[in-house]
Amino acid sequence: MARAVVELAGCTRDYGGIRAVAGLDLVVYEGELLSLLGPSGCGKTTTLNLIAGFVLPTAGRVRIDGQDVTDRPAHQRGLGVVFQSYALFPHLSVWENVAFGLRERRTPRPEIERRVGAALSLVRLDSRAEHRPAQLSGGMQQRVALARALVYEPRVLLLDEPLAALDKKLREEMRSELREIQRSVGITTIFVTHDQAEALGLSDRIAVMHGGRIEQLGAPREIYERPATRFVAEFIGASTVLRGRATGPDRVALADGVALRVLGLAGLRAGEAVELAIRPERIRLTAGAGENVMDGRVVGVVYQGVQTELTVEIGGGQRLLVFVAEPAPAALAPGQALRLHLPADAFMRLGPAGEGAGR
Amino acid sequence: MLRLAVLVLLAFMTLPTVVVVAVSFNPTAILSFPPSGLSLRWYVNVITYPQFQRAAWNSLLVTAGAVALAMPIGTAAALGLARGRPRAASLWATVLLSPLVVPGVAAGLGFLIVGAALGLLRSRVVLIAAHVALVLPFVVRSVGVSVRNLDPTLERAAASLGATPWRAFRRVTLPLLRPGLLAALLFAVIVSLNEFVVSLFISTRLTEILPVAMFTYVVNYTDPTIAALSTLFIVGTFVIVWLADRFLDLGGVFLHHR
Amino acid sequence: MRWLLTPALLVVAVFAAALSALLRYSVLEFVPGSLQTGGPTVANFTGIMSRQYLGAVWDTVLLSAATTALTLVASYPVAYVLARTPSARVRSTLLVLTLAPFFTGAIVRTYAWMLVLGNTVVTWPVPMLFTARGVLVGLVHFSMPTMILLLAAAISHIDPLYERAAASLGASPGRVFRRVTLPLSMPGVVSGSVIVFAWTLSAFATPELLGGGRVKMIANVVRDLALDSFNWPGGAAFAVMALAVTLALLAGVGRLTTPADRGA
Repeated sequence: MARAVVELAGCTRDYGGIRAVAGLDLVVYEGELLSLLGPSGCGKTTTLNLIAGFVLPTAGRVRIDGQDVTDRPAHQRGLGVVFQSYALFPHLSVWENVAFGLRERRTPRPEIERRVGAALSLVRLDSRAEHRPAQLSGGMQQRVALARALVYEPRVLLLDEPLAALDKKLREEMRSELREIQRSVGITTIFVTHDQAEALGLSDRIAVMHGGRIEQLGAPREIYERPATRFVAEFIGASTVLRGRATGPDRVALADGVALRVLGLAGLRAGEAVELAIRPERIRLTAGAGENVMDGRVVGVVYQGVQTELTVEIGGGQRLLVFVAEPAPAALAPGQALRLHLPADAFMRLGPAGEGAGR
Repeated sequence: MLRLAVLVLLAFMTLPTVVVVAVSFNPTAILSFPPSGLSLRWYVNVITYPQFQRAAWNSLLVTAGAVALAMPIGTAAALGLARGRPRAASLWATVLLSPLVVPGVAAGLGFLIVGAALGLLRSRVVLIAAHVALVLPFVVRSVGVSVRNLDPTLERAAASLGATPWRAFRRVTLPLLRPGLLAALLFAVIVSLNEFVVSLFISTRLTEILPVAMFTYVVNYTDPTIAALSTLFIVGTFVIVWLADRFLDLGGVFLHHR
Repeated sequence: MRWLLTPALLVVAVFAAALSALLRYSVLEFVPGSLQTGGPTVANFTGIMSRQYLGAVWDTVLLSAATTALTLVASYPVAYVLARTPSARVRSTLLVLTLAPFFTGAIVRTYAWMLVLGNTVVTWPVPMLFTARGVLVGLVHFSMPTMILLLAAAISHIDPLYERAAASLGASPGRVFRRVTLPLSMPGVVSGSVIVFAWTLSAFATPELLGGGRVKMIANVVRDLALDSFNWPGGAAFAVMALAVTLALLAGVGRLTTPADRGA
């Protein structure tokens, strides 16, 4: 069992009557990269600020390495933080920025020289030591911020949307670079983001947050393939939610009389109401007949290059989102009739906690 | 059309300055323009006139005292305003800037009454107190511009790197406030050096500052000595304003740029 | 962060103490030939109503109104160019020329106008120095920097896109100015006018020197009463009146300019 490094126990934070974080419990283990993922206002940045010590919890405790640090001010927590805006000191050179934390720790000068040099070469900025932050590109500034937060070997690295200010191409490059550096340093890392692709691609575990609570905590694949709630299903990837009633251990009848066979959903009891979700890339176009095959009519077409996104209306006005990989087998246009196959093992069952969490 | 109008208006604004400078080199006591020759005798007069020497010394003491007090007080206030709740801050800002809108004669007579009651009119205490109050709004405003430009996450960043609040202030906040502090210093010095109405009420012959001494001289004499002294004042302020515009963003203090 | 404000509030409290002393004296009886005062009275305020003082009040209001109007007209073109010029050189030059007199101080500026108005440069067809005309010229010159800065700030807040939009809709430059720029700069025009009016109401150095004792504004009367006649209560009453009018005007401008975009 890996060692717990950061622990939040029942952490709550109110801002003038608004509950930003509501009774949060979270354990982050040695060496892992955990993402806090959610839309803006879900409490993920407040959670980060609670750990960093920038805001104090209204209730609950924060522990680092088993020690209670709830009442310890930010400058005594010894964490490394990379801010969304980078917050590089504009009046100091790159070198001075990176040396800042070591100076505050009264590290001897030769040691500072050595460590700053090493940190700058880790992020490949040796040649820019004397530049001011404003003279660097966004990606370079981002790497300076990373070097500054890593140079004094903090116990935990906190990243607050560090890639949000970069353009798409650079963001993808920095994502893999970040992961590489994190692995090579082996530092426990908490990563705040609203970008699901970023979280899926980087994390060991993801905590999906909504309304100040953790909606689901798990490995990326688990989150994507077995979303626990409707919120998670809709926030991560695309999906269509179907409401119905179980008619047997592997049978669900939708409201409009469409009968579906479903596989891999344990504990389905006949007669209970269920909420199912299906990913649009799992739905197939088909010509044949069989179980879970139904006719529909195209009502919307969005060409995306790698795929085409269709909105298809089936019986009873129910609409399904369907991704068809390009090149598509046939010309797709609104009004066109289609036959769809919904594989029995493609359904995910959403938990009853659903969208009520956090309210 | 617009350009011509602006040129005429600028000429109107600068005409008196030009005339003063020209007259200051006039060789005779009778004012004439353009001057009939070149002479520095009025500058000599300025430097050797005992009451001007005394007033210059008083100006130096009062301005130095007032600025030394107003700078830290105003800087603290500007930081306090930026960190308070917005609604309370705007109320306090109004309170702090209020001395600006009080007519000089009202403030002057008020300080005169208080100073007389306390028996302080022979010292420069009342003068310095009044100057601090009159200069403070300019300090709060100028520093306030820099404070608003300050990214609050920088202090958080410093804290995350292990800096105590005081260290973060010394190493991050203060260096970044430098332009605002310089502008504040400039304003404070110039406003205090030029203050006239309030000082007229609360100074005696022994404590009066330069503008008051100049006023008395103008009322009593007509020779160009004041033109010479004015020229020195004008050259001094022009140099300061020009330097300020080069090294500080004066436009940023006064105008809104996109 | 209240403690950061405390020293500054202390300074304001000293200032407020001076004003409250002024307020108290304005309702105390003047004992001629003495700095001692008598009991409470409203005589100082009724004294203002005498013809000699009312004349000064009336002259002050007239001069302030004329100053405001002339200053507004003279400042707008300069402010417009200052706010709109694409050249940093021009802006910088205008800014320095505008600010320099602002920084030169009342005495230097007023003395300069004594030279200009006193037939040193040209011989004026009508007497200028020691007349209300001369005082008016000095007051306009005194008020222009303030007005220019306030107007320029207001104009620079107007997005030039609005002007381009109006032009694209077929408005000539003159029409663009009248229908877009001028209306959008009204907050600056209103606040600039009220501030100049209020400041001119309490102008002292300009009328004192350029009026040569023949043109008296409220502030000059305060000085005469307080420093020549040692009638501090009388001077205080006059000063309180000036203060009240100034505060009323500025409170008015605050009300005129702020809630407009919130309401309705």
